[in-house]
Amino acid sequence: MSSPPGVALRRRILFLFFSTLLAVLVLVMRLAWIQVALGEELRARAEEDRTRSMPVQARRGTIFDRRGRELAISVNVDSVFAVPAEIEDAEATAAKLASTLGMDYGKVLDRLTRRAAFVWIKRQIDPEVAAELQAADLPGIGFTQESRRYYPKGSLASHVLGIAGIDNQGLEGVEVVYDEELRGTPGKIIIEYDARGRELPQAVHRYVPPVDGQSLVLTIDEVIQFITERELEKAVIEHQALRGVAIVMDPRTGEILAMANRPDYDPNHYQDYPVENRRNLAVTDALPPGSTFKPLTVAMAVEEGVASWGDTFHCPGNIVITGVSVSCWKSHGTLDLEGALEQSCNVAMANLALRLGAESFFRYAEAFNLTNRLGIDFPGEGKGSVPTPAQMRPLDLGVMGFGQTLTMTPLQLLSAIAALANDGVLMKPYLVKQLLGPEGEVLQTFSPTPLRQVVSEKTAREVLQAMVAVVEEGTGRNARVEGYTVAGKTGTAQKVVAGGYERGRYLSSFVGIAPASDPRIAVLVMIDEPKGTYYGGQVAAPAVAAIIRDTMRYLDVPPDASTAEERASEEPLVKVPLVINLSVEDATMELRRQGLGVDVRGGGGVVVDQVPPAGAAVVRGTKVVLSTSVRSASPSDNAMVTVPELIGKSMREVAAVLGALGLRLEVVGSGIAVNQYPEAGERVPPATTIRVEFQPPADR
Amino acid sequence: MRRAKSPDFVLFLAMVMLLGIGIVMVFSSSAVDASVNYGDKYYFLKRQALWALIGLGALLVAMKVDYWRIQPYTKAIFLISLLLLVVVLIPGVGITAHGARRWIDLGVVSFQPSELMKLAFVLYLANYLDRRQRIMGSFSRGVLPPLILLGIVFALILVEPDLGTAVAIAGMVFVMLFVGGAKVLHLFMVGLASLPAGAWMVLGEEYRRERFFAFLNPWADRLGSGFHIIQALYALGSGRLFGVGLGQSRQKLFYLPERHTDFIFAIIGEELGFVGCIFVLSLFFILAWRGYRIAVSAPDTFGCFLAAGITTMITLQVIINVGVVTSLLPITGITLPLISFGGSSLVPTMAGIGILMNISRYTKS
Repeated sequence: MSSPPGVALRRRILFLFFSTLLAVLVLVMRLAWIQVALGEELRARAEEDRTRSMPVQARRGTIFDRRGRELAISVNVDSVFAVPAEIEDAEATAAKLASTLGMDYGKVLDRLTRRAAFVWIKRQIDPEVAAELQAADLPGIGFTQESRRYYPKGSLASHVLGIAGIDNQGLEGVEVVYDEELRGTPGKIIIEYDARGRELPQAVHRYVPPVDGQSLVLTIDEVIQFITERELEKAVIEHQALRGVAIVMDPRTGEILAMANRPDYDPNHYQDYPVENRRNLAVTDALPPGSTFKPLTVAMAVEEGVASWGDTFHCPGNIVITGVSVSCWKSHGTLDLEGALEQSCNVAMANLALRLGAESFFRYAEAFNLTNRLGIDFPGEGKGSVPTPAQMRPLDLGVMGFGQTLTMTPLQLLSAIAALANDGVLMKPYLVKQLLGPEGEVLQTFSPTPLRQVVSEKTAREVLQAMVAVVEEGTGRNARVEGYTVAGKTGTAQKVVAGGYERGRYLSSFVGIAPASDPRIAVLVMIDEPKGTYYGGQVAAPAVAAIIRDTMRYLDVPPDASTAEERASEEPLVKVPLVINLSVEDATMELRRQGLGVDVRGGGGVVVDQVPPAGAAVVRGTKVVLSTSVRSASPSDNAMVTVPELIGKSMREVAAVLGALGLRLEVVGSGIAVNQYPEAGERVPPATTIRVEFQPPADR
Repeated sequence: MRRAKSPDFVLFLAMVMLLGIGIVMVFSSSAVDASVNYGDKYYFLKRQALWALIGLGALLVAMKVDYWRIQPYTKAIFLISLLLLVVVLIPGVGITAHGARRWIDLGVVSFQPSELMKLAFVLYLANYLDRRQRIMGSFSRGVLPPLILLGIVFALILVEPDLGTAVAIAGMVFVMLFVGGAKVLHLFMVGLASLPAGAWMVLGEEYRRERFFAFLNPWADRLGSGFHIIQALYALGSGRLFGVGLGQSRQKLFYLPERHTDFIFAIIGEELGFVGCIFVLSLFFILAWRGYRIAVSAPDTFGCFLAAGITTMITLQVIINVGVVTSLLPITGITLPLISFGGSSLVPTMAGIGILMNISRYTKS
């Protein structure tokens, strides 16, 4: 019999015991980490691994125009899927599916036999086909409602809207910018399975309903968009142009009311169009602005104090900068600043730019946001290039003064010009006004964002006024709109190709603002490579005029009161009473009572004729010409009208004067009246046509 | 003749509770399996209950036979076990399952000689250390002979192959040699010397290397080498603090492999939660505590070595098993004593506890 264990032995066993204790504690800590700290995460992952979920798509949000008209909607259609594990007879099922859906049998069979929890058979099928398949009740084949994007207005505003793909994902346009909001959160049906693929009866079996996407309210107005696209299309077709861009913006807010491109595409069948057609040139492409840039040069010069409205410029038809002769499009002679803008004189603009100097010019270019992206809520915004002061040679600077050498996107150009219509404050352009929840409740409203005051209110107003003269008297006369003062500027840029200007390829543009007295819209139309005539005033200005005319009418903008004509039309009209056969005294009293003037012709006491005739509605204060009973030498002298002096009057004034006398006007040329026939003082019968020759003031 | 006290009741109680938990959990984790594969959801439960009865019988016999009476037979028991390890390798005698020839068919049931070898080696070493404790400081005469035997045993088990059990036995032998007075330096040098061989065995082939290191980052190959351990972590994690409830495990639905054998602890963790795990580990710790207590207060060194050896045999397996399930150690294939399904492990373990209880009757209090 041996002795009991000694101290050393007992100590080693004690060591063993504590080692065991330590090991157990490590295990306990490890368990605590796994089960308590990581528990929830592991549980969730385990559940995810054990479950299969069938997607239930969320409805993609609607895109509305600013007045709540639907531009993009989602419609629910059926899609067929298979759960391969649940299919009993793959061959028979594949045959049935292939024949019903018009698919290839082999392809269907391949999908049905894939080792996957879930496979699509065909997405977004027709309702009748879905009904037929549902009736067949094939095991392992299921249906789910998917939403398909539909653009009810076809190609209207397609470049703004963009497109959404089959998986409810935005691919282009605002569809992609606000994809996350529009998309919503897909729901799912979750079923738990054991590792051998059998559904567990009492296991997790949940339905997670989808959260429908938010809707967008655009700043775009469907009607203005339609008007804009119609006019743009007309211009592009008429001038056989390569492409065209048009933007309508509210200068006070930066809201884009319309944005159009030609050529365009139908987002419902976007695959049928060349990819280039989907390009939104208005935002993505930097182009030379040409003369439409000139108002900005003038604004910079006036604001910086290097030019004033009284300054005169001499244009001999070209300017020599550092030894290089740059020609003007015409020899303008002597012009004042307004005239220089009106006549779009390159020499004057080059002078202004040179006076400003490279530093100032660049600083203003930055302030007008020509060197940076504006940050519009649209993908792929481009930006123009303006050489830095260090890169700018005097020649570049001079040429930039009239809008060549530098480039900018149409949006940058319009935003900068619109700042002049907004008292000098540049607004950030934007396309989305509001985000709406599924019930139509407003979740978020995007408000106008002023970027900065670029020039003073005074300068802005003065330049805008000069732009009115461009339309009234200068190169932009084709942009005149009945009833509204339009401020505008033409532009005809030579396209830059591989470092040089290419003769015969032009970018004709016009930018217009209306009404000039209280601007509501700023419009830019750019026509790329028109055939034949290429001046912006001829190619783009008529389109801008038409857009302004119809938009003003649509928006119910009161015609602005800055012209006599307008003032007249705003006042209540008076019905001319019948005064024939009354005595001159009675007739005069009667007419004055009605607030009308009297012009008695002839020396008789009884009125034998009156112009305008009884019943005519005329403006208060209109003189009614009364012919009296005493005949003059010639019988035809009866009711003759004396031709008034018209020389020196504007076209509106001439029209007003002749209208009041009941005479007709034949216009020759435009600008200020320089000649008339018959001459003043001649007596002519009523309704005689007076031929008046007008000339732009600078041409005199 | 020594005077016998009543055996250690706390030890017995802990063992019975573990046995009970084991039977319940074997049923819970195997019921679905059993009904799918054998058409009888009680298939594994019945067998485990039967094994528990046999184990209880072995325990009672071992408790009755005074431990010193075993000492003369320890060599014989060891040799028989060794013989069985050879026999199991003979085709036709050994049953191959999962690519390993580990079992001997006894008609109704099968039995794993390597499990018997664990106890047999403890018995053999207790005797060896008792006789040579004065020369254990010597490498050649004290430490080397049992290591040679270990080498033979290790090789035989490795051929089956069953690397996990071989490593567990090696660990147990090392611990016993340490307790027996071997110099730590000697053991350390031996360990160091066998490192290249071990490294070659574990890392020699790409798939083994992958499996071996999968526990470090199971997520790297979650459907391949990491799958097994991830399913275990899923089970443990799903249990969280209080478990999903007895019988409510989802991971046992064919997701977690070895769910009623090597990885039963993961199902315990899922159904009974962290609290359940702590409870089971506590019971094992009580077992270790009582076992080592019996060892230090044994009336003689043979009893001391025997008690320490049996206790180590059990606790070492518990630590390795739980370490594997919690992804602290690479997957080895070691069962959780008293709980995992299988009689080959249960009967020797319970017999060992019977011996422990017998020793406890003669401890000095």
